[in-house]
Amino acid sequence: MVMLRRKMLRDMKLNSTQFISIFLMALLGVLIYTGIQVNWVGMEREVNRYYEETDLADIWVISRYFTQDDVDRALALDHVVQAVRRLSIDGIADIPGRPTLRVHLLEEDRISRPYVVEGEIFDLSRKGVWLDASLGAAHNMKIGDTLAIEVAGTSFSLPILGLIHHPEFVHNVKDDTMMMPNPGDFGFAFVPKSAVENVGSFLYNQLLLTLNDQTDTDQMLEQIETLFPDRFILQLTRVTHPSVAVFQVEIEQQQAIGRIFPVVFFLIVVLSMFTTMIRMTVNQRSQIGILKAMGYSRGNILFHYISYGLWLGLMGGLLGLLAGPLIIPPILFNMQKAIYTLPNWYAVLSLPDFAAVFIVALCCGAASYLACRRELKEVPASALRPRPPKAGRHTRLEKSSLWRRLGFSTQWNIRDILRNNFRSLMAVAGVLGCTALLIFGLGLRDTLSRINQWMYEDLHLYESKIHLHHAVKEETLEALETIYKGQWILESPIQIRTLHRNETASIIILDKGEKIRFIDRQKKPIVLPGDGIGISYKMAALLNVSPGDAVEWRMFGKRDWHTSTIEMQYFAPIGQGIAMTKALYEQQTNSHFVPTALLSPSAAPDVEGNAAVSTVQRRSDLIQNLDALLENIEMIVIILILAAVLLGSVVLYNLGTLSFTERIRELATLKVLGFYPAQLEALLQKQNIWLTITGILLGLPAGYALLIFLLSTMPDSLDLPAIISVPSYGITILGTLALSMLINKILFGKIKDIDMVGSLKSIE
Amino acid sequence: MSLIQFEHVCKEYRQGTNVIHAADDVSFEIEKGEFVIILGPSGAGKSTVLNLLGGMDSVTHGAIYIDGEDITKYNENALTAYRRDAIGFVFQFYNLIPTLTALENVSLSKEVRRDALDPQATLAQVGLSEHINHFPSQLSGGEQQRVSIARAICKNPKLLLCDEPTGALDSETGILILALLQKMSREHRHTVVIVTHNSTLAPAADRVIKMRSGKIMSQLVNPAPVRIEDVRW
Repeated sequence: MVMLRRKMLRDMKLNSTQFISIFLMALLGVLIYTGIQVNWVGMEREVNRYYEETDLADIWVISRYFTQDDVDRALALDHVVQAVRRLSIDGIADIPGRPTLRVHLLEEDRISRPYVVEGEIFDLSRKGVWLDASLGAAHNMKIGDTLAIEVAGTSFSLPILGLIHHPEFVHNVKDDTMMMPNPGDFGFAFVPKSAVENVGSFLYNQLLLTLNDQTDTDQMLEQIETLFPDRFILQLTRVTHPSVAVFQVEIEQQQAIGRIFPVVFFLIVVLSMFTTMIRMTVNQRSQIGILKAMGYSRGNILFHYISYGLWLGLMGGLLGLLAGPLIIPPILFNMQKAIYTLPNWYAVLSLPDFAAVFIVALCCGAASYLACRRELKEVPASALRPRPPKAGRHTRLEKSSLWRRLGFSTQWNIRDILRNNFRSLMAVAGVLGCTALLIFGLGLRDTLSRINQWMYEDLHLYESKIHLHHAVKEETLEALETIYKGQWILESPIQIRTLHRNETASIIILDKGEKIRFIDRQKKPIVLPGDGIGISYKMAALLNVSPGDAVEWRMFGKRDWHTSTIEMQYFAPIGQGIAMTKALYEQQTNSHFVPTALLSPSAAPDVEGNAAVSTVQRRSDLIQNLDALLENIEMIVIILILAAVLLGSVVLYNLGTLSFTERIRELATLKVLGFYPAQLEALLQKQNIWLTITGILLGLPAGYALLIFLLSTMPDSLDLPAIISVPSYGITILGTLALSMLINKILFGKIKDIDMVGSLKSIE
Repeated sequence: MSLIQFEHVCKEYRQGTNVIHAADDVSFEIEKGEFVIILGPSGAGKSTVLNLLGGMDSVTHGAIYIDGEDITKYNENALTAYRRDAIGFVFQFYNLIPTLTALENVSLSKEVRRDALDPQATLAQVGLSEHINHFPSQLSGGEQQRVSIARAICKNPKLLLCDEPTGALDSETGILILALLQKMSREHRHTVVIVTHNSTLAPAADRVIKMRSGKIMSQLVNPAPVRIEDVRW
């Protein structure tokens, strides 16, 4: 059907605004979908490959020590393929800045092998250190340099033999209160055990296991628990290991975002296609009639009109499929490289990407089909006659006395909206989408930029946090306190459980002082009670407990469980867990309070060379860490705003042109009657403003819901309530309104050019 | 047997509670190769009869035989095939596809009918070989109607049905168009049926069917039809 294809192309050219806008929307929808899809599929594939290549452990058992006998007993368990033990301990790299170095001493390297980026392959017989490549880059360390490491009260120096990544450090942070890695401050190193044989004796504190496929991990955990009845053990799996879990959440988050946004564009594409084709087929009523008269079958004509949608969807989709994987991953990878370390970053096309194109094309075709079905139902003879005019119905409103007082323009607009209810609905939907995207983007920015204020203005009031080595003597503490002042704090990871739930969390135990404050959901300050513990809202929700309930907890590395009653709930944007006073801690656990850090009011305490001090975190560094994260978000916000503006303007312009052509006779009549163009403009602008305001009112809650949804996909350690600032509301509402009015203004420019006689004459 | 046989054909439209008898017990015959004019004032049911004849609408009752086959028994597919192979339509408002050129409009016929004539040659036959690449909006009314005729005869149909083909044209152009149709009928033995309210054309037809209010008023065969150009307007 060459002629019909030519007709289609010329029809499209004739209505290029609408068709280009639909094409762009289809393109954008597929672009975003495939862009994000190829991104996370690539990340998932690479990380799995990475885990497999380095034989990442399936289970990490952590305790005070593991003997060779323990390893053999673990190996003897069914389903255990490999078992190795190692020591993992935090030390200090003796280089400027004294970053914390998580040192691993390896006896074997069959599980969780380092991934060498540069230098020699990891060799258990060599005397040297394999250093975190990121930390190496941040401190300008090179292969062959000698690195001095202080660890567990002793120190050793070894040449750097390799720079590495490690599968357990994809999210390379010290603990889960840090969202961004800071290679200047923290890194890891792997050292063959034999290289430090002469330094002293170490106990292996980790046992790593790999399992075969035929087993249930939870059952294994129980078996392993019974293997070590004599000591406390902590077990991590690939589900709970911090780095593995965070990266998995990242992938799932992208999956969720990648599904929800294209749906917005998708709906708009289908709706635009539908309205455009309705107008097209209504206008081509007699053309349909003549094709029928000539002997074109119903199927021929149907396929002709469906092909408008098919081609458009297919072209837009294919271009999106081409552009998405080219444009989006570099942007996202750039952001993610700042947070995660993977050997390679690449996008991977998968079946759903092609399916998206197919679905877009199919939906556009279906929308065309639904639109032209009505015109095709009629016998050819009546298709050649003009359609009888839409029966003007009186609504109940028009019978009321109120109606007469409304004035002509209000009456006209109400009738026009009711008669063209579908078109009006579309306009509202377009504005709704635009508003929702704007409020979502700006709200995301508001929410994340509030974290700094919460953390370092409302909650943490110290200027620096001086981390101490383990087992510091009482006199040293007193000496430190006299110099630096401040408040003592004990922080530790804990296991926390109720009868039904079991979570990993953190505990804060506070000595007297006011360097850490607590606030409730309403951001009002509250006091940590002396007779019970406080629990963060999110942790309470995860455990399904509330004040008055008791929880059991034990510190990492300790054996005994303690039971505490919850007396208070507090808000913690980052790092979930429980908090208690020093007095309560000492009373409940019957142990001595040994602080892990001093919260100092001094911004730059001179602690250089103090043997008790491990590292110092300054407020400015902590704020910077979060700011780096925010910079990445900025990019997303800009993309969202652009998408919102495009969506809003395309839909409104499209519908504007549609309604304009449909009403041209009416407008010409009014013009003949003596309406000034300015009056006509005001008449149409009125309706536009009504519809826009309706769209905005619906869009605000929709955007808010979108934001809440996104925040709910955040990792468990984050508790971020949706925040939308007043300026964001202002920008969204005024921006959308202005955009809508501007577009109508442009459309009304055509009113002046209405040819009164011409448009009234052509009845065809 | 005649080429066309209308037997007691009725067509009713329902408009609210009223029933309109657009064709009321219509019976007539047309022989192959005849140049036929259906005459009558507006609302007489002429177009209804033409549409029924062309398979564009369905009868309420009665039978229409074309070459001995009753097309009122046809389903949608068979009707489409009938329109495709047997019928060429010419309308008052030309009904060209505005986005297709003259040649492309005529080529539409070739797309549906395999043994269609050469579109370019057909356009030359109606005297339009110079404007074949013009769009309808670039052609005068008479030229557009000639494209429309070319499009109809390009299919080499058994029946050429014309609904007020000169209704939108000035009289001089109208004569040229009708002369063209008459020539087609004479030279190529096309059976041509023309619906018009212009009774002055009657002397040019082989057969004249007069209608009023959905009924056939008279039917006469003209033994010596004159040339259209010689009809006094």
